[in-house]
Amino acid sequence: MHAALKRHGLWVIAWGLLSLLGAALLARHALQQEREAFETHARIAHRLLSQQVVQHDAVLATLALLDSNDDSAHPEQRLPSVYPHILSVQRRARDASWPDAHLQALDAQSRQLGHGLLVSTGFAQGRFDLILGALPASYLLKIDIRSMVPWREWPMEPAQSPVRVALLYQGQAFDLQAGRKLLPDAPGWHFDFHKVLASPSQPFEMVAQRHVGWGELPWLWMLAWSVLAAALLRMAWVLVRQRDDRHRAEELLRLGQVARLNTLGELAAGMAHELNQPLTAVLANTQAASRLLDDDPPDMDAVRQAMAQAAGQSRRAAEVVGRLRRLVEQPATIQTMHSISLSEAARRALYLMEPELKRQQVEVSLKASDLPCRVLADEVALDQIIHNLLMNAVQAMHTTPKEKRRLTVAVEPTLTQVHLLVQDQGPGIPAETLNRIFEPFFTTREGGLGLGLSLSETLAMAMGGTLSAKNRMPHGAEFCLTLPLAEPIVASS
Amino acid sequence: MNMPLSPLIHLIDDDDAVRTSLALLIGTVGLRVQTWQDPQAFLAEFDRQSIGVIVLDVRMPGISGLTVLDLLKAQGVDQPVVMLTGHGNVDLCRRAFKSGATEFLEKPVNDELLLETLQNGVRQHVQSRQRIQVDRQTRARYAQLSEREREVLGLIVTGLTNKEMGRVLSVSPRTVETHRANLFDKLEAESLAQLIRQYAALVDEQATP
Repeated sequence: MHAALKRHGLWVIAWGLLSLLGAALLARHALQQEREAFETHARIAHRLLSQQVVQHDAVLATLALLDSNDDSAHPEQRLPSVYPHILSVQRRARDASWPDAHLQALDAQSRQLGHGLLVSTGFAQGRFDLILGALPASYLLKIDIRSMVPWREWPMEPAQSPVRVALLYQGQAFDLQAGRKLLPDAPGWHFDFHKVLASPSQPFEMVAQRHVGWGELPWLWMLAWSVLAAALLRMAWVLVRQRDDRHRAEELLRLGQVARLNTLGELAAGMAHELNQPLTAVLANTQAASRLLDDDPPDMDAVRQAMAQAAGQSRRAAEVVGRLRRLVEQPATIQTMHSISLSEAARRALYLMEPELKRQQVEVSLKASDLPCRVLADEVALDQIIHNLLMNAVQAMHTTPKEKRRLTVAVEPTLTQVHLLVQDQGPGIPAETLNRIFEPFFTTREGGLGLGLSLSETLAMAMGGTLSAKNRMPHGAEFCLTLPLAEPIVASS
Repeated sequence: MNMPLSPLIHLIDDDDAVRTSLALLIGTVGLRVQTWQDPQAFLAEFDRQSIGVIVLDVRMPGISGLTVLDLLKAQGVDQPVVMLTGHGNVDLCRRAFKSGATEFLEKPVNDELLLETLQNGVRQHVQSRQRIQVDRQTRARYAQLSEREREVLGLIVTGLTNKEMGRVLSVSPRTVETHRANLFDKLEAESLAQLIRQYAALVDEQATP
């Protein structure tokens, strides 16, 4: 675990930071949404309550205005049945007076101000009286606060909502909606809303409060984000590792090539030293012998000795060569011979070479016979020969103008064998090198090993076939691989 | 100082066949050859006074020919050194010449090239040894001169007559003549020309230490 943490430490830290950042953003967003909802709800509640209390003023004003001066009619007594929150209506007739002096004084004051006044009784119990002094008659409404609230339009669910809504008046509070109970200094966030109702007669202050505790944060979303971040980072990690792996593989491949070249160089150096020693001795001995023979009289014993040494050293050189051959010889082993379609093999080789051919802008045409040109061959060896021939043809056209780079591959059966012809549009093979191109280590290419054609010919012969080369008119070279047919074609026509 | 009668070629190569065949080849032109299989033994024992050339194979087990070359030069060995190698490349060649090799030959080596190189080397070495010996004799004779005789020699080299020298040294021409006879005697000079040719450089060297 410790080792894993060490190895993936950066990734773990990145995951932690990403999780924290995401969680913080999510929490902020959630809190902001809660606050917006709270404020919207509070404003709606305030508007609804304001509308209600304004209605009270309107009712009182209407009663005062429509007073018929008929003390016996009392239409106002029917109001409580229409408005359930109006518990009762009291009327003071023109010449009568209120039973207590306080009311009398408020009546007078109200008449002077021109709007209703509150009679402060029992606010904490959810009641209040509203008096409007007017002529000919004054009215007093007894109102129940809870019934006053239009619950049907209320923006919150009164029983479940965590928001506390209360009305304040002169230090007395009446809770319309209890909200969630909480300790005074509970940890979390606190939203507050204070606004006085829009009525000069009933200046209650509406208070809304909301507390969001830690428990209300969107923990599930935060957890989900953390898991998602882990998944994303894991994906990134896999991608990075894949890229590194690919990088390393390419590097290894390159190193392998370099190592192979180095090995070849080392081999050549070793071979040079191993062969140079006996050759030096042979040369020195024979030259010494020929100088001794010029003496008069010649010291024949010394000459004989020198010649014997030269012969011995020649054998030593031959042994070195033999040892080297046994060391590097990978006999062109033909594993197993199968019946293979030569056309298919040619198609496959061309398919494999497609990227290289495109890069060199070589136009390719394949002329394959309809006849089943099946030969007995080792698949790997056959592929290698065709690949070598194609590569040679492409490289021969390096100096050919791009629009003339054309490679033709033809499969032509005869009665007993099949020819695979590879023709290029290069400069052709110089006459003086034409009969040397299949020799090992013979190459005309800079940096070429001179082994490709030599190996191809060895492989072709091992499969009972031949490989030949000739120049075409007016230019270009043609290589011909001939292999015996697996089943001779019966002359049908 | 005893000078060996005929030059001696030191041949160092770890390969028996190469060593004997090259020794035989070198022997055909009358040069004496001493062969060494082990470079360490050669470094420890070879005659540093001998006149001749050292032939060194580059590729030897244990200690490379280039290292031997460096050691020889560090010890002040004055024999010319010819390097032999199986696969010479430019770097190796440059390195050898920088270290003071006289020649760099590739194996298998052509007889004429090798023998000519060795003979040239021997000639070179003989000349340099002679130069050293002449120089040593000249200095020994010069050391025998008295202070006054050296002054006279310095004036002779600048081309003054006896009279002029007498004026410069405030002595009589006759006294100058005596000093002159003495220094000719001590320096074993037979003519004025020989005296000047042999000692002018030394006089200049003494005048400007």
